[in-house]
Amino acid sequence: MDAELDSELHAHLDLLTDENLRAGMGRPEAERAARLELGGVEQVKEQVRHRRLGNWLQSVFGDVRYALRQLRKNPGFTAVAILTLALGIGANTAIFSVVDGVLLRSLPYRDPGRLVMVWERNSESRNPYNTVSPPNFLDWQARNSVFSGMAYVCDVRNNLTGQGDPEEVVVQAVSANFFSVLGVEPILGSGFTPENGIKGHDDVVVLGFGLWQRRFAGDPNIIGKSILLNGKPQTVVGVAPENYTWLVKDGSLTGEKPQIWTPFVFPPAYAVHKNMGRFISVVARLKPDVTLTAARSQMKSIASQLEIEYPDADRHWGVNVVPMAEQVSGSLRPALLVLFGAVFFVLLIACANLSGLLLARAGAREREIAVRSAIGASPWRITRQLLIESMVLAILGGATGIALAVWGTNALLAASPSNLLDLRAVPLNARVLSFSTLCTLTAGLLFGFVPSYFTAWSRSGQTLREAGRGTSATVRSVAARNVFVVAQLSLALVLLVGSGLLIRSFIRLVAVEPGFQVKNLLTFKVTLPEARYATDPARVQFFQQFLAKIAAIPGVSSVSMESFPPLTGLGAATDVHLLSQPVGPHGELPVANVRVVGADYLRTMGISLHAGRFFTTQELQEEKHVTIVNEAFVEKYLNGAEPLRQKAAIYMKSLTESELVPSEVIGVVGDVHQMGLDSMPDPTVYWPHPELVMSQMTILARTSGDPMVLVPAIRDELHQLDRELPMASIASMEQLLADSLARSRFTMLLLGLFAAFALLLAAIGIYGLLAYSVIQRTQELGVRIALGAQMDDILRLVLTQGARLVAAGAVFGTLAAVGLSQLMKSLLFDVEALDPLTLTAVPLFLALIALAACYLPARRATRVDPMVALRYE
Amino acid sequence: MSTGESTTLLQGTLDLLILKSLATGEMHGLGVSRRIEQITGGTFVVKPGSLFPALHRMEEEGWISSFWGESENNRRAKYYQLTKAGRRQLETETRRWSRISLAIARVLEAS
Repeated sequence: MDAELDSELHAHLDLLTDENLRAGMGRPEAERAARLELGGVEQVKEQVRHRRLGNWLQSVFGDVRYALRQLRKNPGFTAVAILTLALGIGANTAIFSVVDGVLLRSLPYRDPGRLVMVWERNSESRNPYNTVSPPNFLDWQARNSVFSGMAYVCDVRNNLTGQGDPEEVVVQAVSANFFSVLGVEPILGSGFTPENGIKGHDDVVVLGFGLWQRRFAGDPNIIGKSILLNGKPQTVVGVAPENYTWLVKDGSLTGEKPQIWTPFVFPPAYAVHKNMGRFISVVARLKPDVTLTAARSQMKSIASQLEIEYPDADRHWGVNVVPMAEQVSGSLRPALLVLFGAVFFVLLIACANLSGLLLARAGAREREIAVRSAIGASPWRITRQLLIESMVLAILGGATGIALAVWGTNALLAASPSNLLDLRAVPLNARVLSFSTLCTLTAGLLFGFVPSYFTAWSRSGQTLREAGRGTSATVRSVAARNVFVVAQLSLALVLLVGSGLLIRSFIRLVAVEPGFQVKNLLTFKVTLPEARYATDPARVQFFQQFLAKIAAIPGVSSVSMESFPPLTGLGAATDVHLLSQPVGPHGELPVANVRVVGADYLRTMGISLHAGRFFTTQELQEEKHVTIVNEAFVEKYLNGAEPLRQKAAIYMKSLTESELVPSEVIGVVGDVHQMGLDSMPDPTVYWPHPELVMSQMTILARTSGDPMVLVPAIRDELHQLDRELPMASIASMEQLLADSLARSRFTMLLLGLFAAFALLLAAIGIYGLLAYSVIQRTQELGVRIALGAQMDDILRLVLTQGARLVAAGAVFGTLAAVGLSQLMKSLLFDVEALDPLTLTAVPLFLALIALAACYLPARRATRVDPMVALRYE
Repeated sequence: MSTGESTTLLQGTLDLLILKSLATGEMHGLGVSRRIEQITGGTFVVKPGSLFPALHRMEEEGWISSFWGESENNRRAKYYQLTKAGRRQLETETRRWSRISLAIARVLEAS
């Protein structure tokens, strides 16, 4: 454009010069005079550009005002369009802000992209994130050259006493370099020094920001003061920044955010390579020039060296290096990606719906458009006007959508269980806003393009004379509307199939028998501080007294306790050697969960006894070397042998069999879905409390009514025994079960919501198309009725038109669903991605709804009065 | 434009003058400008700084179209011609202008 103007002006200059030459001037003078008259090529160009921009802005502004006037004139259409878009864009914004918060958020560490988790991984086990044994950690640290630093963490619950009520806090015991590997500086104090990693210098803590604010009122002089953890004094050397936390659920024993950090110094024994058990989580920072692949391959070869050097401890154990971001988003990632895809589909459907609406409206606006083109508006000019109209609609819809999303997201987060999304509120940050703006503008272009194109280009001069009656509605425009309706139906079908699969899995999931009675069961934890309960008998005695006190409370029908309650994702497992079988090295022996229980356990939990007997009172008071196994254990390891009176060496207290007294199997009990309804019951051995005296136990109280009501009475009893002991993690078993199903329920509900919305839009789409076509065909239908067509014939005529579209939508949709449902595999439980029931029932359901939407216009067609229709001309 | 009249009036006037001079046939920019000088007897001299913005605006409005051609003495030049819409616009403008000048003439006579 600019180059053309340039050559035009130079040609003008030449013409002027020629003129002057003809007038008798000499060449230099002629050229000078010509330049003078033109007034400078650049100046003229500037004036043209200026005028053009001014014109353009003015005409765009005019188009916008015209568009707003048009929209005001059709409030019904405008409201439907804005609402459709607002829901489409709002849903996208809401899900994107959660995706942004969970998958894209930057972790509160320096350069988090270089951080990785390093796990052990047993080739015989399904768990990819097994915690690490300290000796292996020490070897990894000494042998690798890919990490600039490796740190470890393991979390415990401690009692914090002194200054106010006793409370249980989550303490992360970490390597002294933990904060420096993460690149986090305390806001107060110096944090841990390398010296704190030496025995005798490790009585120091860093406080979490929240605890510091709450319990110490943000005391700025806290550094150097002492706090009591499990009765032991510890010096505060730092306060962590407010946004800093560390929670990797895999490998965590408490599954909760830490409030205090303290150094964890390995005893010298850990350096001697023995099987110490695997319990620490390891985080490492990649050296600046090392890739993830390089780190993985070096760690892999180190692990295989260790496997050869220490077959007893490391046979079958490899290593798994996982980027931090991937680890943290964990199990939500596939669900969020599926939901993100779903809302994208919803937006596409909304766009197709609006395109259809606009095309239909174009029919009504034919006259207006014809007038505009008759007075000289070019098709491009009309296209632009119509596109501006859709952009105005899109922007109105987008703004409403963003407002809806802010409200909706926070409502969603407030309603979602706290263990699911680690987000309390989603701020509307720049990334989310740009995403929504992009969505809005793309949507505006997408739904506006085809209608404006057809409207502006598909008519010639004859329209004006035909005066706006439907006859010139072009074949192409109708075809386009059909395509939009089919697209909407197919996309909606894909979402419905996805949602159907999730509903089917959820039904399967909740139908799983947990293996115990969930209703009216109260659970809470009690931890005895080592300082005051130093011996095993003291601990056994405390818990026995406490259980007896609880049993006496009215409303408690029975009470017991165990080390790791089901559905909390916690547990301990070890090797078991059945003496009737040959002994093998570690790694080839049977592996079983070990659970330590108290009196009355089976009755309180409602677990069935399949053979043998429960522990006697004596066995629950002192070590008698007895154990009970579950059905999964019998099935997996006993090969049909009689389980009772088997002797088993359970490698929990020592890893050397000669130091172990084998336990006799005295009973077999039913399986419990310990890790959640979606995982299979693991082989388990039960021990009475004296066999493995733990200082932390979960109390289980079976109640006759609402279990939470009894909390104050139980707390009173606890305080009478020991004023300093808190009740921690109080929850009803029903709540724990609901929490364990939260992700599945959340995904199912949201996808269901989006699918329902998609179905509604698609139904509106096909309804609109048929309703419009009935109006177009009024005259034809009138003639048919006048010639004797019956109600049924007319009904069939219209319904057939709809049924064709529905059939096409169902076929394309089913094909797409077959392809796309594979992506949801990881979200499904006990249902195939190509579930035949879902793939037949859902298209039928869609067809039913869509045909119902067709029925209304078809009914209207039968009521066409032939006289009116014929006089309509 | 060399006269000192108000721009609002002038814009309409300039459009009308350009349309009118193109009514006889296609013409390049200099031709249009000389033609206006000629028919107004030198009352209006349209400078390139006014002419070219006007031509480009009118082309955008769809009243005139342009093409590259050869001038009398074999120079390449951009030519403008009226479109159908341009002819209609000329009629409208002419009617409007006649009404205005008639009205103004009456006002002047009345005094």
